[in-house]
Amino acid sequence: MKTLRNIGLLVAVSSAFGIIGCASGIPPQDLVTARASYEHASKGPAQELDPADVHAAREQLDVAEAAFVKDGDTQATRDQAYVAARKAELAEVRARTMQANQTKEGVVGAMHADERKAVALTAAELSQTKTQLATQGVVLQAQAATLATEKARREDAEKRAAQAAADLAKFATVKQETRGMVITLSGSVLFASAKSDLLPAAQMKLNDVANALTKEDPNSKMVVEGHTDSQGAASYNQDLSQHRAQAVRDYLVTRGIASDRITAQGFGSSRSIADNTSPEGRANNRRVEIVVQPSSKP
Amino acid sequence: MYKSTFFSLALIVPFAAACGASFAPPTQRLADAQSAERSASELGANSVPAAQLSLKLAQDQIAQAQKAITDGDNVRADSLLIRAKADAELAIAQAREKGAKIEVDKAASDSAAQKATNVGQGATK
Repeated sequence: MKTLRNIGLLVAVSSAFGIIGCASGIPPQDLVTARASYEHASKGPAQELDPADVHAAREQLDVAEAAFVKDGDTQATRDQAYVAARKAELAEVRARTMQANQTKEGVVGAMHADERKAVALTAAELSQTKTQLATQGVVLQAQAATLATEKARREDAEKRAAQAAADLAKFATVKQETRGMVITLSGSVLFASAKSDLLPAAQMKLNDVANALTKEDPNSKMVVEGHTDSQGAASYNQDLSQHRAQAVRDYLVTRGIASDRITAQGFGSSRSIADNTSPEGRANNRRVEIVVQPSSKP
Repeated sequence: MYKSTFFSLALIVPFAAACGASFAPPTQRLADAQSAERSASELGANSVPAAQLSLKLAQDQIAQAQKAITDGDNVRADSLLIRAKADAELAIAQAREKGAKIEVDKAASDSAAQKATNVGQGATK
């Protein structure tokens, strides 16, 4: 009986030693740290972002725990725990690196999206500008065409005027003065002495004048001026010059000069151009002048 | 007598296997740890405080392991090198994390500059 009791005590003591030997009491600091590191890693973003490294840390921690259970606080247990803590930290560092990379990708992606948007906007503006320029080009072409037409019209008018002047120069004196082109016809060619009826030969000449004048600028105004020499009464000369101017004006109207473009005015002997004391001078003073005033329009 | 001799041998052989067949120098582990340590240095671990500490731990433990190998304690050297490699790998990850954060800052700054440029050019509305 005593023997049995002794055996029972021995078993109890052995068991107690066995438990102490296996659980080894207080865990080493490295293992405490490893547990905390793993706890932190497994409950943070690493669990989702880097599960492989978290798992590796778990496995290493298990190795350390098993070593502690089996051998207690040995250098080998501490070494395993040390490595487990490093692996848990590694998982967290790698997870943070992934987060940073994701953030960067997000920023860069947004930046590229902004760039594409800006490029698209610029392209749209460019396209709009091109359209505007094309429209302006069409307008400019139209303006150029109008200018060319206008230039051609002017050149044509100048040519016709030059032709008219050349035609007139054949039988009349043509001068350019400030008041306009002055066509001077000798009185003796147009009228018999003291008469205001046109001579038949005068009509031929005036036909040519009318032809030349119709080639002039159709907007120009004309004044037919009658002039006499100083012989005889001034009032008589005034009337005679007026009638003669009127006769020439009326004839030119019958030859196609618009009546509202042409007027007649007598000046008597008030505007002599030559000496009235000589027969030649008086002959020069007896004259009809047709003044073609420059067109007021451009 | 014969029985006794056999018993003695049976006792001695396992001890001989554990102590006598000595632990080979951990050359592969040394090479692995040194390789990881070099990588960490090349990645600029010394300019990142956390990585610098990990790298220092790795370097110290590699030195201790080399001394242990010289002293014939290959088992201790092996453990030290496992620890050193874990520290060096952590240093690599810490250096890369710093690099990633620098890139984030650069991207943010680029993005801000681009926004300013776009606004300046009237390309955003």
